[in-house]
Amino acid sequence: MNYVLHLLIMICIYSILSLSLNLLVGYTGLLSLCHAAFYGIGAYVSALLMTKLGLNFFLALPVSVIISMLLSLLVAYPSLRFKGDYFILTALSFQIIIFSVLHNCAGFTGGPYGIPGIPKPHLFGFEFNSLPLFLLLSVILASLVFFVIYRISSSPFGRVLKAIREDELATLALGKKVAGFKIQAFMISGGIAAIAGGLYAGYITYIDPTSFTLDESIFILAIILVGGSGNIKGPIVGTVFMIILPEILKFLGIPDTIAPNVRQMIYGALLVLMMFIRQQGIAGEYKFE
Amino acid sequence: MNISLSKQNNKKEKQLDTTSKDSRKSCILELKDVTKRFDGLIAVENASLVFSKGKITGLIGPNGAGKTTLFNLITGFLKPDTGTICFNNYTIDGLPPWRIAQLGIGKLFQDVRIFHKLTVLENVLLARKEQPGEKPFISLFRRRRAIDVEKMNIDEARNWIKFVELGEREDSLAEDLSYGQQKLLVIARLLAGGFEVLLLDEPTAGVNPRMIKSVLDVIKRMAQAGKTLVVIEHNMSVIAEISDWVYFMDDGKVITFGKPQEILEDPEVRKAYLGV
Amino acid sequence: MILQLLANGLVTGCIYALVALGFGLIYNTTRIFHIAHGIVYTIAAYLLYTFVRGLGLSLVWSLLLAIILATILGIVTEVFIYYPFYRKKTSLSVVMIGSLGIYIFLVNLVAMLYGNETKILSPGAGKTFNFGSVILTKIQLAEILAFLVFFSIMVLLFKKTKLGKIIRALADNPNLVTVLGINIRWVRIYIFALGSFLAAVASCLVAMDVGMDPNVGMEVFLVSAVAVIVGGVGVFEGAVLGSFILAILQNLMVWKIPAKWQSALVFLILVFFLLFKPMGILGKRRRLEEA
Repeated sequence: MNYVLHLLIMICIYSILSLSLNLLVGYTGLLSLCHAAFYGIGAYVSALLMTKLGLNFFLALPVSVIISMLLSLLVAYPSLRFKGDYFILTALSFQIIIFSVLHNCAGFTGGPYGIPGIPKPHLFGFEFNSLPLFLLLSVILASLVFFVIYRISSSPFGRVLKAIREDELATLALGKKVAGFKIQAFMISGGIAAIAGGLYAGYITYIDPTSFTLDESIFILAIILVGGSGNIKGPIVGTVFMIILPEILKFLGIPDTIAPNVRQMIYGALLVLMMFIRQQGIAGEYKFE
Repeated sequence: MNISLSKQNNKKEKQLDTTSKDSRKSCILELKDVTKRFDGLIAVENASLVFSKGKITGLIGPNGAGKTTLFNLITGFLKPDTGTICFNNYTIDGLPPWRIAQLGIGKLFQDVRIFHKLTVLENVLLARKEQPGEKPFISLFRRRRAIDVEKMNIDEARNWIKFVELGEREDSLAEDLSYGQQKLLVIARLLAGGFEVLLLDEPTAGVNPRMIKSVLDVIKRMAQAGKTLVVIEHNMSVIAEISDWVYFMDDGKVITFGKPQEILEDPEVRKAYLGV
Repeated sequence: MILQLLANGLVTGCIYALVALGFGLIYNTTRIFHIAHGIVYTIAAYLLYTFVRGLGLSLVWSLLLAIILATILGIVTEVFIYYPFYRKKTSLSVVMIGSLGIYIFLVNLVAMLYGNETKILSPGAGKTFNFGSVILTKIQLAEILAFLVFFSIMVLLFKKTKLGKIIRALADNPNLVTVLGINIRWVRIYIFALGSFLAAVASCLVAMDVGMDPNVGMEVFLVSAVAVIVGGVGVFEGAVLGSFILAILQNLMVWKIPAKWQSALVFLILVFFLLFKPMGILGKRRRLEEA
């Protein structure tokens, strides 16, 4: 039972990550490979504020969101100039550099050993210290994120993002300042990813850089590509699918030592398959053209 | 309407006073001595043109004459190397394309450029200028206002969709329309955008003859409503039918201009263009 | 000390240059962001390991087999994945994602079969040679030699053979293909064969030098991609230039900055170039992304 609760919490965390990345990938058409960096920034900033400054989780989280939004400008501005491969490389650079900072600045981030002893979230004396309670918190945050993303993507703002994805020049010709929209998309996406990071930190109570690598960015991207991009249900479908998949493998008797590899092999193969037969993913609506 | 004026504006205005007072009154868009080079190739050379309110001006010339380049210069996708472009007495060369579009100059691209995976309604809605919902903050926290304006925009958009007779296809994806319908869609988009000046790059190309009549009808009605239209066309009968004034370009230069009949009968034009 | 670092940089540069030449060959002509290049590299090393340690074959035979098989893998990705995409006129982003999928699939297969630990072919550094204050091992010299030999062959190929001319034309304008009426199927196969071959050679040398782990491919691939951009897209010599610049900078900086920042350095250099000189050092026209 505990394990089921754990899975549900991870589904909440990854839903937040995939929904926010979808804003960039599925709506604006920007294949970003640096989402784990924002996830990590959120986790580390929250963890540091909670452990070093004793800040409450519910205060640390918004601060980490703001810092993540500011740092997202570092990717957003250069990416305005590039499309296609060059953009991917820009995002990739950001991912690698942020990871290096998290991994190497031992004095600041604890280096490879990370940050232990993160307190569980508490509010006015009430502590989210059991799995069901933490699940409740996760569901609340995930629903909030879902609501925000839903509102934003079905608004005229979301419409402009889709237009940018379809044809940037035509969007400019209609009087939309494309750069401004892209920057906002980056900031919202990065800020929301930080929420997942803070939640993760409060859940596991110990974070280290290995959770925020390029592989992780690729995994989050794969969730969207497999589950579907460009609409609101794709990321959720993808998240559930990718999180449940390893459990199915365990059920089929695949030993624990190789299960992670098998899982990745499956989604690697799925990526190739999807690109051949169903580029919009299982439940998505945007095909990369 | 916020128009940021460069300090040069007033100075330039005086320098431009080379045309007669009469045409200045109705002149809405003017290019003076505009030149554009690409790596040694001169695409447009010392082009001076005037476009008047409520009139349809034809722009003709062989391929590579610089017509589309001219459109790109006007709409800010390219910056002129020399010369100035004035719109309603404000200098617009050097402004970014989205700014020029906001000021009221709209363009129909030669390759149409619909938003494929968006519906007809969404395509037209995007053109609407006033959209508070385009700010995420407002969509989240001041929804009432965004919703009300969106309703108005939808109504306006629907009007224009009906105007170009695409009413029944409102919810179809733009990519599912026929080529001619897509052209009408882009025109509806331009109309919904409330542009004062419309630059149409080959509006009838690839459109079947039945549709052409609809398109020309719309163009004429737009002029009657006071819009300024500039039309690039290779179809001379279209030019003859709708233009009030025609410019002929070749090799990046404006060779001659005048009333459509004069230009179409000009031997130089016929030689360069029609191979006669 | 500096000279030794410089020498190390030169040696590493040779390896990067081989891989980057391979990646550049593919990228410049097909514009495919061939992430699977990294797994061709990795698999060459593990094949060598399997033949030498698993099957006990002689070094020469193992090398031959490993390199040939890895090259075939590269060809297979083209024939069965990229070429079908090409025929369907699929967008390059999709192709890249497909390449990523292949990489993920294969790298996990390797990890599953061989484990994540570093594997070494033979213990000990082997014979060393002194050049003044600089010391180089036998393998390092072999790496330099391999680069010189294969780079020269490539230069000759580009200048003297018909295939080379076609490759250069494609690098200049990938769309020329259809106009020239060449058999694009086979040209692409040759390109992937050459590119994969170079990566396989480099990988085997490094495997003999320091061993391997499942992630070596991605690390070297990323550096090679950066080298191609920094050196100049569309210009094959650029890949080589970029490789040496990166390798030497990486090794020199060890003097002042801890080695753990090496990856970050590579990407900071990339960002610098993307911002200020996106065509790279030797690159010519700006590839207009204007749709």
